[in-house]
Amino acid sequence: MSLTNTITLLFNGFTIALSLGFLLIVLSQNARKELNQLFAALLFLVTLWNVGSLLALAFSLIDPSFSFIPLAISVMELGFTGASIAIYGLTAVLVGVHTKRFRALAFLSLVIVLGYQILLVLSRSPLPFESVGEGFYKYRFQPLAAFLYLTFDGMAFYLIWRYRRKIRRPSLFWGLNLFIIGQTLGFLNPELRVVSLSINLCSFATLIISFAILRQEIIVPLSERITQVEAVHKVSVAITSHIGIDIVLDQIAIQAVNWLSADGAGIFLNQGDDFELVTVYNLPSRYLHTRIAVGEGIIGLVANRRETVYLENYGRDWINGLNLPLADETFGSVISIPLIYGGDAIGVLMVIAGRQGRLFQTEDVSLLELLGSQAAVAIAHSHLFAEQFELTKQVEYARNQLEAVLTSTENPVIAIDRNLRLIFANKAAKSVLPINQNSVHEILAKYFPGRTNTNFKEIIRYLHKGRSYIYEVEVKSKSYLCHITKLGGPKTKGWVAILNDITQLKELDRLKSEMIRMTSHDLKNPLQAAMANLELISEDLTNYENTDIHKSIDIINKQLTRMNRIISGILDLERLKTVTPSIDICEAEKIISDILEDLEQLGSDQGITLKATSEKGIPNFLADPDQIKQALVNIVENAIKFTPRGGEVTISTKRNDSNIIFEIKDTGIGIPETLRDHIFDRFLRGGQKGQQGAEHITGSGLGLSLVKTVVENHQGKIWLTSSVAKGTTFFISLPAITENNDNQLSQGQEWKSETQLHA
Amino acid sequence: MKILIVDDEQAIRDALGRKLNREGFEVVLCGDGLEGLRAFHAERPDVVILDIIMPGGMDGLTVCRRIREVTDTPIMMLSAQAVTEDDIIEGLNAGADEYLTKPVRLNEFVARVNALLRRSQLINIETEQGYNDGYLSIDVHRRHVHVNGRRIHLTPTEFKLLAVLMENSGRVVTQRDLLEQVWGHEYIDDVYYPRVYISQLRRKVEPDPANPIYILTEHRIGYRFEKQSPPLIKSQ
Repeated sequence: MSLTNTITLLFNGFTIALSLGFLLIVLSQNARKELNQLFAALLFLVTLWNVGSLLALAFSLIDPSFSFIPLAISVMELGFTGASIAIYGLTAVLVGVHTKRFRALAFLSLVIVLGYQILLVLSRSPLPFESVGEGFYKYRFQPLAAFLYLTFDGMAFYLIWRYRRKIRRPSLFWGLNLFIIGQTLGFLNPELRVVSLSINLCSFATLIISFAILRQEIIVPLSERITQVEAVHKVSVAITSHIGIDIVLDQIAIQAVNWLSADGAGIFLNQGDDFELVTVYNLPSRYLHTRIAVGEGIIGLVANRRETVYLENYGRDWINGLNLPLADETFGSVISIPLIYGGDAIGVLMVIAGRQGRLFQTEDVSLLELLGSQAAVAIAHSHLFAEQFELTKQVEYARNQLEAVLTSTENPVIAIDRNLRLIFANKAAKSVLPINQNSVHEILAKYFPGRTNTNFKEIIRYLHKGRSYIYEVEVKSKSYLCHITKLGGPKTKGWVAILNDITQLKELDRLKSEMIRMTSHDLKNPLQAAMANLELISEDLTNYENTDIHKSIDIINKQLTRMNRIISGILDLERLKTVTPSIDICEAEKIISDILEDLEQLGSDQGITLKATSEKGIPNFLADPDQIKQALVNIVENAIKFTPRGGEVTISTKRNDSNIIFEIKDTGIGIPETLRDHIFDRFLRGGQKGQQGAEHITGSGLGLSLVKTVVENHQGKIWLTSSVAKGTTFFISLPAITENNDNQLSQGQEWKSETQLHA
Repeated sequence: MKILIVDDEQAIRDALGRKLNREGFEVVLCGDGLEGLRAFHAERPDVVILDIIMPGGMDGLTVCRRIREVTDTPIMMLSAQAVTEDDIIEGLNAGADEYLTKPVRLNEFVARVNALLRRSQLINIETEQGYNDGYLSIDVHRRHVHVNGRRIHLTPTEFKLLAVLMENSGRVVTQRDLLEQVWGHEYIDDVYYPRVYISQLRRKVEPDPANPIYILTEHRIGYRFEKQSPPLIKSQ
């Protein structure tokens, strides 16, 4: 037994043992991983090869004519050729260029080899071999096996060198090379008698490969995991320590580069219309603040799709234009991941390997995405923090301002929440009311008009619609107008009441009324004296023939009458303001017919036809019948006055939703546009204001302002349309009694008091 | 017929006096309330015309109340000051039978004076019936009205109004009929008179003026007197 044989045997034995060991480790680590499966196949086939070789050698040493030798050689052949297939598979997976078709091919080849060997054994036509003594033996050249293993080895060799940058461990690279060389030497063996050299080399190479893969798959990932945990930790610390966003971003970029053994990284942030490069690491600083529009370049694509873009080779794979200067020349592999927060891409993290740097792989993508999600949270948080800080500042500022305003205002302001707890009361409020946290209920009970429960609910509902409720309240013998509005948006959070001191206003109003009363008294007494004496004179002169005197008396009489009408008009207005309308059910038709009856004489005197039309089923309405009638009479009288002889005045009633509309239409001289805005002002008279054809018309000029006051006292509206020389139409709309508010009648008293409240 | 005019405005009282003179009335003129009241007691006029606002310590309302304390002589308020219905009601509450606002036409003034006189004289209502349910009792003949056992004071107009309504008890008396029968045909357009006097009357005779049981309103038609059976009424 020669030394070579001994070494070979030892090598075979070691290889088998170690291979089995590695096999166990790799498969137990992750049997699903393709690389591990192929590595296991390689180990298994190398083991077969070694077992076959060992057996053949052992048998031939014992007895060269031992009949099991061919079987062992078959096993060896199977292992040998299979190993070449497996090494190709392993290489392909390592460099990442394997395809599905390749797997089928490899598997088929393996089956062919296996089938061929089995056929040989079964047909008892063993490989012709020849022992050359001293454990060396040679057998005939096998074209099929040679073709297969040379092909696969050749392909594996090509892959190793073509994609050598993708094989991260040099030991793996050289181990693979050595294995292929070893196998190729096996081809040469029959002539060079170096069969054991081949197997020894291959066994050695297998050990190297095994070690490299073990390192790459188990040891390095484990140690990397430690660095990953450290990186995540660092990022987390950066995020949570509330240091500036810049430092957080720098930290993320640094960690990304270290983690992926990349050459540089940058972070783009969404700035509304575009993305701005805000942080770079190991990239030219002139890249900073580069802006890329949304949807442009890699950044745009990533942000738009919210998907990672992985470019193995930037220059080759990215053709959609230039993102950054010199990118095409210097960038190798590029991974860009979107930083997503709340469904929006708030930024993009881009990690770059230089042209000479490593090629990124798909595992790198998931690593980076892990970092990316952290980064997104960090950015979003720091944004939120900054926003919140700014907002808090603003709110604080606004609050201070508001409080300053509210505190300095002389109007009492009180705010309460939904649970009737005091939110705010300014100085003025505290000086007027004994308001504090405990007295809210008392104060509400005393000063809020919603005494009855239904009334209260009504008011709350009214407020909820965003309207403000206004009522008068007496506090400490002063009168206040209280405006209540709700606090908060669609949901009511509370209510705020603002009190306006109207004591002086009311006093002024009272003084004004008093003055009007006195004035009217002082005017009416002389008027009475003048009129009475004029009548006496007129009686005295009944038999006197001078018509001039009678004419003068007539004029004086008319002027006095007019003066009286003006004074009465003022008093009427005053009365309307002070008197509560005595509400009754009114029937539109009845009122109209009364009016027609009253004014028929006036109409026929002026040569005007009066007409009335009415829709069917006009509902009744609640109003002071006398006031409403007077208002309508005023308008119809006006219409008659301002309509030339032969004209027509039509009163019609209509129903519109829940309103009754009275329409008084004349064929008169019309109202010029310039007058329309002032038509309801006091003392405006058409004739004096250049209304064509109205010069001869006299009046107090109070009629329409009185009408307006009446209509508005009844929650109604008045408006008009007019065209000069064609006519004018006045519209008065009043709320009707409908089925829904029929009960108003039974609550007449309440309705009346509400009328006053909103008036 | 003697008529007392109390008005601080000489021009007015002279003019009114001259007019009434021409119409055949005897007229007494006074310039302030106190003088007017003295003249009333001295002259015993048939009708009193009172201005409300007058200088001196006594205004028209006070004079009116003083006169009412002793007699039912018809009183007409003639004022320039009335602005609201409340003013008129205040005057009527003081016991006036009529409230005219200045300026008033002389012819109308005379017509009203005549109507007042007529009203006070035509007290003899056709019916001799009285009414008594224990709470309210009306003696038409003696012009006595008792409420809850106490005699109350009604002006001639108020009494006539009550009498006309009672006479037609159970039936609706229209506003127009009331105006004609109580005030006279000159008043046919003064539709607010019945309203004011009815509320006045209710205040005097109803147990609860806000919820009348005797004098009921028929919406937009008129009024109706409803007799009450004695057990329904509990004296208070």
